[in-house]
Amino acid sequence: MTLQELIHKLHEFWMDRDCVIQQPYDLEVGAGTMHPETFLRALGPDPYRVAYVQPSRRPGDGRYGKNPNRLYKHHQMQVILKPAPSDVQEVYLESLRSLDILLEGHDLRFEEDNWESPTLGAWGVGWQVLLDGLEITQFTYFQQVGGQDLMPICVEITYGLERIAGFVSGTDSIFELEWSPGRTYGEIRQREEFEFSKYSFEVADSDALFKMFEIYETECGRALEAGCVRPAFDYCLKCSHTFNLIESRGAISVTQRVEMIGRVRNLAVVIAERYVSQYE
Amino acid sequence: MSEFLLEIGSEEIPALMIQPALSQLKEGLLELFEDNGVGIDALILNQYSSPRRMTVAVSGLPEAQPERQEIILGPPKAVAMDDVGKPTRATFGFAKKNNVHPDDLEIFNTTKGSYVGCRVKHAERPFSEVLQEGLDAVIAGISWPKSMYWRRSRFRFIRPIRWLVAIWDGEILEYELEGIKAGRETRGHRFLGQSVLPIECLQEYKSVLRDHFVLVDEEERREKIRREIEAETPAGLEVIEDEALLGMTCYLNEFPTVLQGRFNEKFLDLPGEILVTVMRHHQKYFATQDSSGKIQNFFLTVLNTDDRFLDDIRCGHERVLKARLEDAAFFWENDRKQKLEGRVAELARVTFQKKLGSYSEKTERIRAICNQISGEATLDQAARLCKADLTTETVFEISELQGVMGGLCARSEGYPAEVWKAIYEHYFPITVDNVVPSTLNGAILSIADRIDTIAGCFSIGIRPTSSSDPFALRRQAQGIIKILLEKKLDLSIETLIEMGFKQFEIRADTTVDEVKDFLIRRIRYMLANDRGIDYDVINAVLGIKIITVSDLVRRAEALQNIRQENDFSSLAEADKRIRNILEGRDLDQSTSVDPSLFETQAEKELWDYFSILAPEIEGLLDQSEYEKSLSLMARLSGRLDQFFVDAMVLIDNDNLRNNRLAILVKLARMFRRVADISRVVRFKD
Repeated sequence: MTLQELIHKLHEFWMDRDCVIQQPYDLEVGAGTMHPETFLRALGPDPYRVAYVQPSRRPGDGRYGKNPNRLYKHHQMQVILKPAPSDVQEVYLESLRSLDILLEGHDLRFEEDNWESPTLGAWGVGWQVLLDGLEITQFTYFQQVGGQDLMPICVEITYGLERIAGFVSGTDSIFELEWSPGRTYGEIRQREEFEFSKYSFEVADSDALFKMFEIYETECGRALEAGCVRPAFDYCLKCSHTFNLIESRGAISVTQRVEMIGRVRNLAVVIAERYVSQYE
Repeated sequence: MSEFLLEIGSEEIPALMIQPALSQLKEGLLELFEDNGVGIDALILNQYSSPRRMTVAVSGLPEAQPERQEIILGPPKAVAMDDVGKPTRATFGFAKKNNVHPDDLEIFNTTKGSYVGCRVKHAERPFSEVLQEGLDAVIAGISWPKSMYWRRSRFRFIRPIRWLVAIWDGEILEYELEGIKAGRETRGHRFLGQSVLPIECLQEYKSVLRDHFVLVDEEERREKIRREIEAETPAGLEVIEDEALLGMTCYLNEFPTVLQGRFNEKFLDLPGEILVTVMRHHQKYFATQDSSGKIQNFFLTVLNTDDRFLDDIRCGHERVLKARLEDAAFFWENDRKQKLEGRVAELARVTFQKKLGSYSEKTERIRAICNQISGEATLDQAARLCKADLTTETVFEISELQGVMGGLCARSEGYPAEVWKAIYEHYFPITVDNVVPSTLNGAILSIADRIDTIAGCFSIGIRPTSSSDPFALRRQAQGIIKILLEKKLDLSIETLIEMGFKQFEIRADTTVDEVKDFLIRRIRYMLANDRGIDYDVINAVLGIKIITVSDLVRRAEALQNIRQENDFSSLAEADKRIRNILEGRDLDQSTSVDPSLFETQAEKELWDYFSILAPEIEGLLDQSEYEKSLSLMARLSGRLDQFFVDAMVLIDNDNLRNNRLAILVKLARMFRRVADISRVVRFKD
């Protein structure tokens, strides 16, 4: 099964279960959770179901396209079900079956893994799903987002697409994966991995990045003052990504790190408060 | 007699939480039974579990709860009656609420005072009603380290509850919790068993689930894993024992099956410590070694399925481990490109604690403490390098390897064993049950690191509380005590604390005392729990100045051994009298005893015998032979008792009185060389 087929099947599966199929967010994010379709929709009382692929950038994980298991940018399939249905684990397992994974023939386990994002002021409890020892999914019942207690509670299912594709096709390296018939992941993305790794570790101008961080932070505040919650959130995301770049550049001390995470979180918390107050 | 089965079906419960929660569930039920008049000794109670369920099965319950009377207490008497003894409004309210006439109220005298109350009669009822009423509180009463809510009710549990089985004498108990009606349907293994599985009665519970690939008996799972590990270990090799890992795998799987896998031999170039930690920490695999202790390229993993498709599954696990080992090999190669020496400078950027500075500052403090304990140049070198591995990627990825990683790097850089082993071992003992450093340098380095953390945290106001101990100060202190004791270090805790605080500018004497109290509490704990010493003996040995921890333990053990002997008990009693007499008197310790002033035979005999025994006792004490010296001292008890009968100490004659006091001073001084034996309580036979 090619990577694109796999994505197609998951889209189909969740479309049949009443999910809005959304598109990736058009900004640099570290995880599908940062897409407003998750961060903002998890807040407030409205039921919602959504699924989308989110390319996720983690500058620190870049390996110049040389490590067969690590990437600067990987792809997540993110599913949000709000409220969480009572058979959500079974439905999730059904989605694996739809990828032709014979569950009776494998070792599958839900192992405790509580997700927390200090920059988003968010946490939840859940598991990592291990398939023959490979972590293929994060499964989380959100409890708080942007420092706000949630009700109703939603469940987040995050598939690691490269991992699952590797499992299904049995390849040893991400770059050998078939993206489409006859075209490998490596052909399409390896050069990109190299350039972004090189940029994050060697080229990025940390002084400039610090300045950008400040500018984005200020602009976030301005947008908020004008009641533009969603644009403000965009700048919060930009802060977060800029911070990740600064960190991968090694240009930051531990104390500074804590301080900057705190600044991003403060933005996220205010945004979440404003968003929720729209419902009051 | 009746029987009851309760199964709480949940989404996967974290492995380490199942056992404690199940105990709470059992205790909660027992309490409910007891509160409702059931003698719990006659009950037969079994508990079962798997990652998805917690089950208690009880037989021997009564079918009915007999008619009974309950006393309900109302307002205190002072509130219930006015000055002239008339019932107040509070009393009328209470009577109305409980549906009794105010004239039927009574006064009940309790340990907390007198209350107005009433007796309420309850008719006989089926015992199952007790359960229907009480189960909510029992289940909600289970406490979890981190719980969640998933419904509007905000009911908290570890993960969402998905089904309930409640069977009373073969019938479904009508009961509902969080929108789930109890029934008789349990669930088998997710993929191998039936998803809806009816249970008729508690006797068949275990076997029905076994047929559907869920082993609900924890012992059975454990035994299966043990047996299969043995069978799957390649001939000539052995598995590295790991009880904690075994316990965890036992609660991670409903139907555990052990699988053998292997990895490429090229990874055996990695240090064994890294291999084992990657397998254990990341993948929960058991590692194997040959008879010489060298790690081998076989591993064992516990699966949550049966053995029909092992080849496919093995392939998957081996591929994951290969990726992990490739990462580890990459880090290990990369990390060694930079020498430890070069990493020391980078520690200035790694914060230990905001107010206590960076690891570079911590390193300097540790060095200063080490230098005061020992002038060894190799120790100083180890101290300088001991935190350098915190900047390696290996430790960043696998924090369990801190210290060990530094030691391995130092070894490969050619440092002598006195240096690399000390670095390697300086976090030992990691938990109280673990081994202490094998080398003297390692022991001193470990103590220095720990006392620095403790003194530092106390001086900025971080103290361990019952709910939070972020720097694991209790464990740090226990480590110090364990090392001092097992390595028999000639270092008093006062001196050590002094050394620790010397490195900080901020310091208050009260803080020094607090740290001393803190360490002494850990010593008490160690004596009582690890050595079985009685509390009064602990008080006795702590009643005098502590020299070293190992010496203190020798004293305590000597005293513990001799305390039952009659002579010693009398001696301890007599010492109590001596202490009372001498207390508050400012006596010259060196006043000598003048035998010419003796008036009674008892004085003379006590003093003569003391003079004979004293040199021998002192000699024994100089060699720390506490038990022998105590048994010699105990021989004085008969004469000492006689002395108190015949010779009055506090008489008007100054010369006689001072002479008799001088005898007691000499005795007390000798006793106190072992302990304040007056604190040893007489054993009641």
